[in-house]
Amino acid sequence: MSNKILVVDDDDALREMVGLVLNAAGYHTVFAADGLNAVEVFKSEEPDLVLLDIMLPGQSGIEVCKQIRSLSGTPIVMLTAKGETEDVVHGLEAGADDYVVKPHNGAELLARIKARLRPVAEDGGIVSVGELTMDPRSYEVKRAGVRISLTPLEFKLLHTLAVKPQQVFSREMLLEQVWGYQYKADTRLVNVHVQRLRSKVEEDPENPKIVSTVRGHGYRAGSETP
Amino acid sequence: MISLLRRSLTARTVFATVTLSAIALAALGGFLSFSLANNFFQNRLSQVLSETERAVSSVQGTVAAASLADETALQTLINSVVPSLEVAGVSGARQVALLRSPGQPQLQLFQSPISQDLDLATIPAELRDGVRASDGVLTYTSVALVRNGQVVPGITVGAPITLPLAGNFELYLVFDLAPEQQALTTVQNALATGGIVLLVVISLVSYFVTRTIVKPVEKAASVAESLSEGQLDVRLAEKGTDVMAVLARSFNKMANSLQQQIQQLDSLSRMQRRFVSDVSHELRTPMTTIKLAGEVIFGNREKLDPALSRSAELMQNQIQRFEELLADLLEISRYDAGAVTPDLELNDLNAVVGAAIASIEPLATSKQTEIQVRLPGGNVEAEFDAKRIERLLRNLLSNAVEHGEGNPIVVEVGSNAQAVAVSVTDSGVGMTKQQLERIFDRFWRADPARQRSVGGTGLGLAISKEDAILHRGWLQVWSKPNRGSSFRLTLPISATTVIANSPLPLPPRTMEG
Repeated sequence: MSNKILVVDDDDALREMVGLVLNAAGYHTVFAADGLNAVEVFKSEEPDLVLLDIMLPGQSGIEVCKQIRSLSGTPIVMLTAKGETEDVVHGLEAGADDYVVKPHNGAELLARIKARLRPVAEDGGIVSVGELTMDPRSYEVKRAGVRISLTPLEFKLLHTLAVKPQQVFSREMLLEQVWGYQYKADTRLVNVHVQRLRSKVEEDPENPKIVSTVRGHGYRAGSETP
Repeated sequence: MISLLRRSLTARTVFATVTLSAIALAALGGFLSFSLANNFFQNRLSQVLSETERAVSSVQGTVAAASLADETALQTLINSVVPSLEVAGVSGARQVALLRSPGQPQLQLFQSPISQDLDLATIPAELRDGVRASDGVLTYTSVALVRNGQVVPGITVGAPITLPLAGNFELYLVFDLAPEQQALTTVQNALATGGIVLLVVISLVSYFVTRTIVKPVEKAASVAESLSEGQLDVRLAEKGTDVMAVLARSFNKMANSLQQQIQQLDSLSRMQRRFVSDVSHELRTPMTTIKLAGEVIFGNREKLDPALSRSAELMQNQIQRFEELLADLLEISRYDAGAVTPDLELNDLNAVVGAAIASIEPLATSKQTEIQVRLPGGNVEAEFDAKRIERLLRNLLSNAVEHGEGNPIVVEVGSNAQAVAVSVTDSGVGMTKQQLERIFDRFWRADPARQRSVGGTGLGLAISKEDAILHRGWLQVWSKPNRGSSFRLTLPISATTVIANSPLPLPPRTMEG
C-alpha cells in the first residue's frame, strides 16, 4: 500500500505541482490550503507524513506543527524560505523532523520524504540504555515498565546512539545515519532534536544521563562514566 | 609653546595683543625717557652756564680790582679766589681748574690751582682748543665722571681768562649731573614698572575678551564636530540677536536640512532594500512551482519531438540560472538588512581551501586548467564561518578558471600571529585600473561582450566582499592586463583580533617583477 502524504501550502499552483511530483513517485496525496484546515485534514485522513509550509494563512505552520505533535508522532517535513533562520529553529522546536528550503527540486524533496518514511530499525533486538529499554519492533521505550512516547525520529536517534554505547557520534554522522543526508546539512537539526529527546527521556534534562554531550565531538549514549 | 599657539585661537590672540602692546609701550617709554633726559640736561646746562659766567666775571673782577705787585701777590689772590668756586658734596659737586694756556713764556713761580680730586681727563684737549679759540664765549662738553666708583654724567665748561703778570689762562668748571641722572633713573624705573603692570592688565583683558568671543565659536565647532560624526540631532543654543546668535541660527538651519535629507535618503535606501528583499521573497513560491514543473518536463523530454525537447533543455538551464540569481539577490538583501551573523567556529583554512578546490575541480578539468596548491604544513586554524568562506573561495576559483585562459591557477595559504590568508591567482586576461575599481560592484562585469561559459550572477564578488567584511577581514585584488589577477582573502585569527598585515604578499610572489 502506498504512503499517504498531506501537503499543506497556501499557493494553489505549488500545492498542485508538489502533488504531481509525489504522485509520479508513487505516493498518495491529500491537501490543505490553510493552517486551520490542515489539522482537520490530518485528523480525518491520518497521513503517513506531512509536508508543511511555514507561512500559512489562518494559523502558522509552527502552530499546526505543535497541534499535530500533540496528536501523534507522524513525520513532519517543513517547507521554509531560505534565510528565515528563526522560523527553522521554531519549527524544529515545535516538533518538525526535517525541513526543505524553497525553491527546492523534486529529487531533494523526495529524498527527504523517503528518509522519513524508512523503517526505524532493521534488526530486532531489545536495546537498553541507562534505565531505559527499547524495542524496535513495537517502537516502545520503557523506564521501569512505564512507557515513554517518542516520535519515530526520536526513537531512531536514541536507537542509533544506544546500539553502539561506546561510540561518540558527531553531528555529521547523526545527520547521515538518522536523517539520511549524504552531504553537509544543518547541524541545528541534531541540536534541537537531542534537546527534545532529552526533555522526554532524561529525569533531569539539565544533567543528562541517557544522551551525553562529548564536548567538541558530539553525542554518545549513557553517562560519561558507565 | 608653538603648538599651543597653533592650536588655540585664544592663546594666539592674547600673544599677539601682548606683543604689539609691549612694542607700543616700549616706544612710548623710550620717547618719554629721551625727552625727559633732554629736558633735564637743557635745564641744568643753562644753570651751569650762568653759574660759570658768574664765576668767570667774579675771578676777572677780583683780579682787576686788586693792585698786584708781583707774581706772589697774584698767586695768593688766585689761590684764594679759584678754590672758592668749588662746591663740595656727594651730588651736585663742582670742581674747578685754572690752566695756563700753552705757547707762552714760562713763569717761574706761578702755580695753577686745581681742585684736589679733579681728574684732568674730564677736560679733554678738544675742549681746551675750543676754549682758546672761543674769543670769550663759554664753551662746554659732556663728560663722564667717576664718583665713588660709579660713572655719572657731567659737564665741563671752560672760559679764557687773562691774568696780569701771568698771561693767558683757561678757567674750567666741572659740574656733576648725578642728581639729574638719579631723577631720570627714578622716572625710568617708574615708567618700566608701569609698563609691565599695564602689559599684565592688557593680557588679562585681552584673554577675557577673547574668551567671550572664542567660547561660542568653540562651542559651535564642537557641535559641528558631533554633527559630522553622525549625531544629527545636536543643535546650538540661539540666544540674543548678536552675530553669534545669527551664526547659531544659520548653523541650526543647516543642521536641520542636513538631517532631513539624510533621513530622506536613509528611508529611500531602506525602502529600496526592503523592495529587493520582498520581490525576491515573493518570487520564491512561483519559482518553486516553475522549477518542479520544469523538472517534470525536462525528465520526460525524450517523449517530445526534437524542437520541444531542446526547448525543455533551454528552459531547464535558464530556470537554474534564475534560481541562482534569486538566491544571490536574497543573500545580498540580507546583508543590506544587516541580518547576517557569521557562524564563527575554529576551522582549518587548509581543509576549507581543499574542499573548495575539490568542488571546482570538474569545472577546471573541463577548461583544462591546472590548479597548483601551496599549503603550509599542519593546520592553519582561525575562527570563521566555514560555509561562507568555502563559498567565497569557490567563487574566487570559478572566476579564476573563467578568466585564466587555461593557464595554471595558483592557490596559496599563509598565516601569521593575527591572521590567516589565502590567495587565488590566475595568469589570464587581467583587468585595467578602471575595471579594478568596479570589480566588487553589483552586477558589474569586466567585459559584457565576453561569452560566459561559467555563468554566475554578477553578484558573486559583491557577496564575497560582504562575507569578508562580516568576518572583519580583507578581500583585496591585484590585477594587470594580460598578466593576470590575484585575489587575497585575509581573516583574523579570532573574532577579537585586529589584522595588522596580511601573511601573504599582494601582488603574489609568482607575479613579481
